[in-house]
Amino acid sequence: MIGLGSMRRSRRLLTAGLVLVAGLAVLAIAAPWLTGYDPDTIVVTTYRGPLRPDASHPLGTDTLGRDVWSRLAYGARTSLFVGGVAMAVSLAIGMTTGLVAGYFGGAVDGSLMWIVDLVLTMPSLLLLIVLATVLPPSILTIPLVIGAIGWTTFARTVRGEVLTLRERDYVLAARALGATHGRLMLRHLLPGVLPGVLVLSALGMSGAIVVDAGLSYLGLGVPLPTPSWGRMVSDAQTYIAVAPWLVVAPGAAIALAVIGFNLIGYGLIDVLGRRQG
Amino acid sequence: MRVASLLVAASILAAGCAVPLDPPPAGPAEDGGPPRQGGIFRLAAAEDPRTLDPARGYDTVSWSFEQMLFDTLVRYDDAMHVVPDLAVSWTTSPDGRHVSFALRQDVRFSTGRPFGGADVKYSIERLLRPAIHSQGAEFFHGIEGAMDYIAGRAPEVRGITVPAPDRIEFALADVDPLFLHKLTMLFAAAVDRETVERVGDEGFTQHPVGTGAFALAEWTYGQRLRLVRNPNYFRPGLPHLDGVELTIGVSPQLAWLKYQRGELDLAGIPSAEFQRVRTDARYRPLILSRTRLDTQYLGLNCDVPPFDRVGVRQAMNLAIDKQRLVELIDGQGVVATGILPPDMPGAAPVPGYPHDSAAARRHLEEAGLGAGFETTMWAAREETTMRLAQSMQQDLRAIGVTLRLKPVDFPALIEAVRHPGMVPIFLLGWEADFPDPSNFLTVLLSSRTRDTNNNTFYTNPAVDRLLDEAAPVLEPARRFALFHEAEVLVMHDAPWVPLFYPSGTAMRHPRVRDYRLNPLRPARIDETWVAG
Repeated sequence: MIGLGSMRRSRRLLTAGLVLVAGLAVLAIAAPWLTGYDPDTIVVTTYRGPLRPDASHPLGTDTLGRDVWSRLAYGARTSLFVGGVAMAVSLAIGMTTGLVAGYFGGAVDGSLMWIVDLVLTMPSLLLLIVLATVLPPSILTIPLVIGAIGWTTFARTVRGEVLTLRERDYVLAARALGATHGRLMLRHLLPGVLPGVLVLSALGMSGAIVVDAGLSYLGLGVPLPTPSWGRMVSDAQTYIAVAPWLVVAPGAAIALAVIGFNLIGYGLIDVLGRRQG
Repeated sequence: MRVASLLVAASILAAGCAVPLDPPPAGPAEDGGPPRQGGIFRLAAAEDPRTLDPARGYDTVSWSFEQMLFDTLVRYDDAMHVVPDLAVSWTTSPDGRHVSFALRQDVRFSTGRPFGGADVKYSIERLLRPAIHSQGAEFFHGIEGAMDYIAGRAPEVRGITVPAPDRIEFALADVDPLFLHKLTMLFAAAVDRETVERVGDEGFTQHPVGTGAFALAEWTYGQRLRLVRNPNYFRPGLPHLDGVELTIGVSPQLAWLKYQRGELDLAGIPSAEFQRVRTDARYRPLILSRTRLDTQYLGLNCDVPPFDRVGVRQAMNLAIDKQRLVELIDGQGVVATGILPPDMPGAAPVPGYPHDSAAARRHLEEAGLGAGFETTMWAAREETTMRLAQSMQQDLRAIGVTLRLKPVDFPALIEAVRHPGMVPIFLLGWEADFPDPSNFLTVLLSSRTRDTNNNTFYTNPAVDRLLDEAAPVLEPARRFALFHEAEVLVMHDAPWVPLFYPSGTAMRHPRVRDYRLNPLRPARIDETWVAG
């Protein structure tokens, strides 16, 4: 566990993370009320390059003449959606695999972990690029692909926890009382692995947001014109000398979202770790 | 909300940090003095030219270097007139099927060997050989005996004869008003037979030898291409430059920075900087710009519903805001109103489509598509193209049409549009090979080119008849009138949404003189010079 000093300090980290993520959630949910323009509509009457930030466009307009603040706010939806779906997919595949492998052990464990190792050995960025290119473009494609590649950490962590938990007395007792495999896994093992999974989910969320930003940056993210922070950075990169705010705003948004989820993750490690220990 | 205010603060801070535009490189004043001899012309490119073998190159970059190394019988001047190059003069027989050239007698290859009519015959026959796989071969299929030669039934093309070293004659199977224009293409450039035989057809792109103003000194793939003055060049006193040096592997952004530091003589202007550069008095005199024979258009596949209906295609024409597209390319072009670019000989105003969303919606309602529809547009995965595509996406949203974008690499796009029924809408451009309306109308919109360049699969027998009727007509007024009639029909049927006619733009170092953009071909640099 990462040593972060006192309990109070780790709680402060957790709080800071929660505040950041809550801010992000508010931004995503309340986007229509926080912004004055549709994110995809061109709002300038005549395009003569990006407009500087002013009262009506707090973050200026982009290289198409759209309101950047609107795109940023609606982009929060994209980031949270992509991160959330990717994390859920990873969680579902990874937790099931980990539970089953850890609980049954033996040949089941061996073959499932072999699959995990196989997925881990594949160059994930390359695989992501290939899948994102081959599959039809849709808002669901990217998170599904990210989730389908990122589940191995969940599987390994859950399996590790289950291996220790299944030798605990209360599990042995339940088994002696004739509990079924399903009941043992869901009622007795699952609750034990949840703290670890919670931590991983927070970290997985930030990981997925970064991967989505990277893919969008390569032009493979969610389909246009859906606003996405990674796309906003890549579209504006050549304008960095002329209109730096076009890069700074989405770049800062990505950084804050990732920091937020990471703070929650590491805060949880500390808080939960202490409680258990 | 804390997040939001943080972001706003960061951006306002960043807005203050916009980097001011660096000045252009300093150079000698424009004093109108005589051309100076000497100096190296410094260029940069992201990639190597595809080839330097004139039989194989068919892209702007290859052509720009090929025309430094090679000459053709005739070429275009800056006003798109056909003027002599290796030829001194020519005559066409009354029936239009025989063209005879008198050649210059003072021309030598850069190796020193004298040039003659046999070299032209050899070069065109080489181009026609199936093993060369030249995309330019089809332009010369009309020479008598060419098909027999290609099929291996004849050892030579009997329609090309060399009665004397300084003469060459062509016999054509049919009247071809474009034959002179075809001879201006680099495909017909005179290559040195001795070198081809020594290094082989494959080796010739690495060791190209011609009669041009320059000769290849070095080509280190991925790094550098160096040309030096051809001491045997036939125009006295030319070229002014000692040589050309192309640095390869330089992105457009880097090229712009190198230009500003004075390390390049020519650079493209990055879109991000265009607005600032154009309004900057220090840069304005250095901008080179001219219209080209180029039309960017949205192709509507007439075989794919709902674009099989004229009304829907007309609605697309009315829905797109072309003025906005021109703004998005920083005004480097003009709104297109027809198929033919305005500089095309024979181009005349045709009834086009204004930007009128209400009228577009009415057309859709009449077609029974009042509720709108969904379709997919294929376009090159490239920044500017994607901006244009998103602008059109919004225009179509206004009439209830949901446009999905399919960004693909350019070669994949070119390949995909040829497959029947595959691509409903695509965003492409066409640059004329020669200044004749047929190069747009016949090549892209006749039913006979459905399996090659007619990627909208547009078919109208009335248009076909007009194009066939115009093809052999030599007399310009009548020829152009027929093409105009065809263009009016095409515009009514609306297989294209003509978007804009882009212009060519570049930025020169202040020391560069007499570098002129050409509407049809890459700029020539034999008369270009650099001030001291």
